[in-house]
Amino acid sequence: MRGSYDVVINSRRLQYKFTIRRNITVIRGQSATGKTTLVEMIRDCNENGIDSGITIKCDKECVVLSGRKWERDIAELENSIVFIDEGHNFVLSQEFAEAIKKTSNYYVIVTRERLENIPYSVDEIYGIRNSGKYGKLQASYHEFYRLYENIPMGQPKPIKKLLTEDSRAGYQFFSEVGTDKGVTCASAGGKSNVAAAIMACHEPVLVVADGAAFGPEMERITELMKLRDGIYLYLPESFEWLILQSGLITKENLTDILATPYDYIDSEKYFSWEQFFTTILQDSTRGTLYQYVKNKLNPVYLHEANKMKILAVMKPLMNRWGW
Amino acid sequence: MGMVIDLLHVFYGDMPEAIFNTAVFFKNSYDDNWIVDDFSKQMIADVDKSEVLGSGVIDSPVLGKIAPERLSGGVKTLMLVKFMPDMVFNVSTCGNNCAKWLLKIAADEERTVNLRNIMNFGEEPFAIHVLNTDEVVHSMRELLPIAIKYV
Repeated sequence: MRGSYDVVINSRRLQYKFTIRRNITVIRGQSATGKTTLVEMIRDCNENGIDSGITIKCDKECVVLSGRKWERDIAELENSIVFIDEGHNFVLSQEFAEAIKKTSNYYVIVTRERLENIPYSVDEIYGIRNSGKYGKLQASYHEFYRLYENIPMGQPKPIKKLLTEDSRAGYQFFSEVGTDKGVTCASAGGKSNVAAAIMACHEPVLVVADGAAFGPEMERITELMKLRDGIYLYLPESFEWLILQSGLITKENLTDILATPYDYIDSEKYFSWEQFFTTILQDSTRGTLYQYVKNKLNPVYLHEANKMKILAVMKPLMNRWGW
Repeated sequence: MGMVIDLLHVFYGDMPEAIFNTAVFFKNSYDDNWIVDDFSKQMIADVDKSEVLGSGVIDSPVLGKIAPERLSGGVKTLMLVKFMPDMVFNVSTCGNNCAKWLLKIAADEERTVNLRNIMNFGEEPFAIHVLNTDEVVHSMRELLPIAIKYV
């Protein structure tokens, strides 16, 4: 499945209105915000239809997944938005991650757990807020909000260290940038090691990681940021996305793809948007001067003019430190 | 003789003996007396912004008159921790707005809970015994580096 879907769910007392853009959405946040009520309303509507007194408006079917027979149920679902309430420990398993990987469904999972097996985006972690009453019936209106949209980063201190999540092309690029700026660059050796690497670093550090799959790390890192100044995050979709945004690469429809990736990224084919951007960068550059290989950065991307074009995508961040 | 301080014992990460799905467990285990208990009433008022009208009815500003099963997952878990002291519950079903209530419950009697995420216990000093490392910590600054190793 691809695309972005508006969902509106109504009962006499409640309205939920939100948009689902990717294959994985996570809902968490404070207690008593209406997470379980949302899933219960969908379940009631699934089971009782019009008799439930609930209406769901969405171009795709919204269904609830629960219980011990989840594997069988997933196998039967296609092109649906699947909601899973908290309390179901199957979402923590590698089997679940494997089962949802190549399906045509989108999944909305209510949980405060990391879900380290699932590469969800920092942009698709939401809380629910009650935005007051609407209409004549004085029903409560609930909407989603991004939990990590505006992370307070405090006053900028001179960066002493760059920390990348992986040790491949992105790290090789930012090592070169670090050398130019007089800053050391290190690889955390995987996203799950980033929090530990930050703790081991006692200087102001800029973390550069693939936002498309960095969701599982956000709670740990934002809690660290509350305790310590000098931790800064830059989370583009991926390093390949940065290159595609830079204008270095020519590809038909690229502007459209980057503007609305959800219209082009098939959940059945790509578990994470990062994989999609890697594929289109590799496909677009194959046999050209800019041929991209993830394991070893093509030196052409380090030529001064090319490097500056890539860094220009990070302009607001670069300006922050006068780079 | 020094004063004995009761503690909240926390085990981070997977704990097979802990009740994971606290909502289902609550539905099939709660006692009417839990709902009308003064401590529960305070928790329900604070977390759910709701008023207990009787053992079977709570007045929610959003949902109207509801049965106890429809309280928030956080409050239901807090009541399980409060009233079933011999059991261990997964308190990752509680948001950060429940953290102070976990500390209050354990201020009177020791409790053991299972946490599977980083709950923020706030800026006030507290006493938490991390079972994974057998350390007592008093602030998020002390707790976070330990918790990050396990969840």
